[in-house]
Amino acid sequence: MPGRSVWVLLVVLALALPSTGQQYLEEAERIMSSTPVIDGHNDLPWQLLNKFNNQLRLPEANLTVLNDTHTNIPKLRQGHVGAQFWSVYVPCETQNKDAVKRTLEQMDVVQRMCDLYPETFSCVTDPDGIELAFRSGKVASLMGVEGGHSIDSSLGVLRTLYRLGARYMTLTHSCNTPWADNWLVDTNDEKPVHHGLSPFGKIVVQEMNRLGMIVDLAHVSVDTMKAVLNISRAPIIFSHSSAYGICPHRRNVPDDVLRLVNSTGSLVMVNFYNNYVTCSNKAKLSDVADHMDYVKKVAGAKAVGFGGDYDGVTGLPTGLEDVSKYPALVAELLARNWTEEEVKGALAENLLRVFRQVERVKTDLQNTAPYESPIALEELEGSCRTNYGYSTDAGTAQRPSAALALALVLAPLLSVLY
Amino acid sequence: TQPLLTCPLKGNNLFLSQALFVFHSSHNDFALQLRILYQNRLSRVNLRELNLTHTNLVKLQAGYVGAQFWSVYVLCSAQNKDAVRLTLEQIDVVKRMCNSYEELELVMTSQGDSRRIACLIGIEGGHSIDSSLATLRMYYDLGVRYMTLTHSCNTPWSESSSKGMHNFYPSVTGLTAFGQEVVKEMNRLGMLIDLSHTSHSTVKAALNISKAPVIFSHSSAFSVCNHSRNVPDDILQELKRNKGIIMVTFNADVLACGRKVVNISTLADHFDHIKEIAGSESIGIGGDYDGVERFPEGLEDVSKYPSLIEELLRRGWNETELKGVLRENFLRVFREVENVRLKSKLNLESY
Repeated sequence: MPGRSVWVLLVVLALALPSTGQQYLEEAERIMSSTPVIDGHNDLPWQLLNKFNNQLRLPEANLTVLNDTHTNIPKLRQGHVGAQFWSVYVPCETQNKDAVKRTLEQMDVVQRMCDLYPETFSCVTDPDGIELAFRSGKVASLMGVEGGHSIDSSLGVLRTLYRLGARYMTLTHSCNTPWADNWLVDTNDEKPVHHGLSPFGKIVVQEMNRLGMIVDLAHVSVDTMKAVLNISRAPIIFSHSSAYGICPHRRNVPDDVLRLVNSTGSLVMVNFYNNYVTCSNKAKLSDVADHMDYVKKVAGAKAVGFGGDYDGVTGLPTGLEDVSKYPALVAELLARNWTEEEVKGALAENLLRVFRQVERVKTDLQNTAPYESPIALEELEGSCRTNYGYSTDAGTAQRPSAALALALVLAPLLSVLY
Repeated sequence: TQPLLTCPLKGNNLFLSQALFVFHSSHNDFALQLRILYQNRLSRVNLRELNLTHTNLVKLQAGYVGAQFWSVYVLCSAQNKDAVRLTLEQIDVVKRMCNSYEELELVMTSQGDSRRIACLIGIEGGHSIDSSLATLRMYYDLGVRYMTLTHSCNTPWSESSSKGMHNFYPSVTGLTAFGQEVVKEMNRLGMLIDLSHTSHSTVKAALNISKAPVIFSHSSAFSVCNHSRNVPDDILQELKRNKGIIMVTFNADVLACGRKVVNISTLADHFDHIKEIAGSESIGIGGDYDGVERFPEGLEDVSKYPSLIEELLRRGWNETELKGVLRENFLRVFREVENVRLKSKLNLESY
């Protein structure tokens, strides 16, 4: 009977359709078992500070059972997270106050996390370290400084943060530094000050190139994005930003900048936060995939990455509620005909390429001397600082007699030094 | 090693070049001078020949200095302000300095015997950690291997020997409970505890809890000159039991108590006295060049260390004792501090 074969066809179709979705998920899991995701930005350290004051040994801070954060160890495993840039963010209110100390404390908590869970985390600082962690089945753990206020306009501090293992710095958080503008100046909330980078800001970028620290342009204004993309000798990243062309939020990357991302071999690690994905407080997994498609279209498949912003935001899409959900997003990309190579690129290879190029630039610049000029004192604000060691004409040539005069002025000071 | 000449000559280098003495001289404020004079711009200064300071590389070599702790001191007036930032900048300038000159080599352990001058880093004043154990740990990671618990100002957790110079935390005496945690964490990390500049109650509190030997990086003998920066005999005896070290300092004001004539003999008197009370194994050298203004006649800068050794030889100190003063005593302390770190790792204690 014709009716029965139609029924059979319908039953077969009904069984086949969900299994296609299941197939993509299995395919995603297969790919991710050898190419796990490198995520550009996770704020677990900030949660550890707020919930536990960084006391990792408290029983309630146990990362194997912690259940009111997006991130914990079992979820990282389920999500096939192979590497994570942990944000060592400190808030803008600390600018001109204790930002430096607070940043050190956040770096310390990441290191102690690696020490306390050595079977899970491996604190590393370079691409080889990431790949080694992949092979040993651990989560490679790196540190990203989130906001130039963490260095208090000091190149010496920048260098020491690098020595302590920081491998990217987001030039601003949601506040201007004395040398770079943040995204809020592109809204009605603030006026531009530097229209990108000040002269000292350019020196910061050059010093980051020399050190081999990745420049991160999440949170910065469009002028800052363009200024950096023009002068940086190394490719850059957006550690957690999405596409302005889909959701016109100023935390996102506009098309002309995406084209610069393409021409410089740089990377946009797509943010999952609802407000940046749909410009509303609701979103679903496919909306995030739309952003990844968009960045791929305008900037190329080699410019796409994952920068979830987990534990840094509340309001994540259905289907991407926590760090265990990456495979579902990868399955969606596969369903949209991303090739395996493109998917691996987004998962890890693009970031590794950028990181290796950043290190090549470091090698190329190894005979360049460290930048030494301090920022001019008048460019700094706040009363929580001394002006000691600054000449009154920082940035101009210092003649020996002036130096002696300074020494004489300070000589009475020296007498209290013993 | 070859035996010393028993008759000291004017040409010190003659006998010293035959002996493999490698000076350990803790405490030198050269980095502070770099900041004040050059805003840490190393490109503007030639460290070999610089003559605005007591220290330059040529003088260090002339003085047979084999290892030097560079102090990354920042002024007490930076406490509660930008002390952490400034300390990181000083650490940065020392590292850049040691990287830029082939005569220098940054080291962080007691191991190693190099032809170069070993650079080590010491923090002078607990205000540099802004009461943060995490910051202390990060300093250790950067290579800092000692911290003087106070400079001339109290911290919220430790008392300085200087009274009236600053007005910070006037009610703090000795070590608070947090101060004790700082000392314990320094033991666990393997960071030398330096008690110069601290009050006598701080010293006693630290000696009570520290599991490792301690140092005075630049202090002299209170019995010889009763200056608050100096160490009284009872504490010297505790130091001997602790197997720690007092690195005798050359600051004329703390050596001579107002006497007009301060010379090598004045300094040697301190050495003799401490040897009598605590034994020569408790003694080292902590000049304080570039940290203070007045030095004994004959000891004007870092090239003059050999003159001191000559004087001690004249006073009957033997080769073993002098090797101890120059190097072995400090190395002993440093190794034991590293040992305590190792043992703590095995116990897996931490905050």
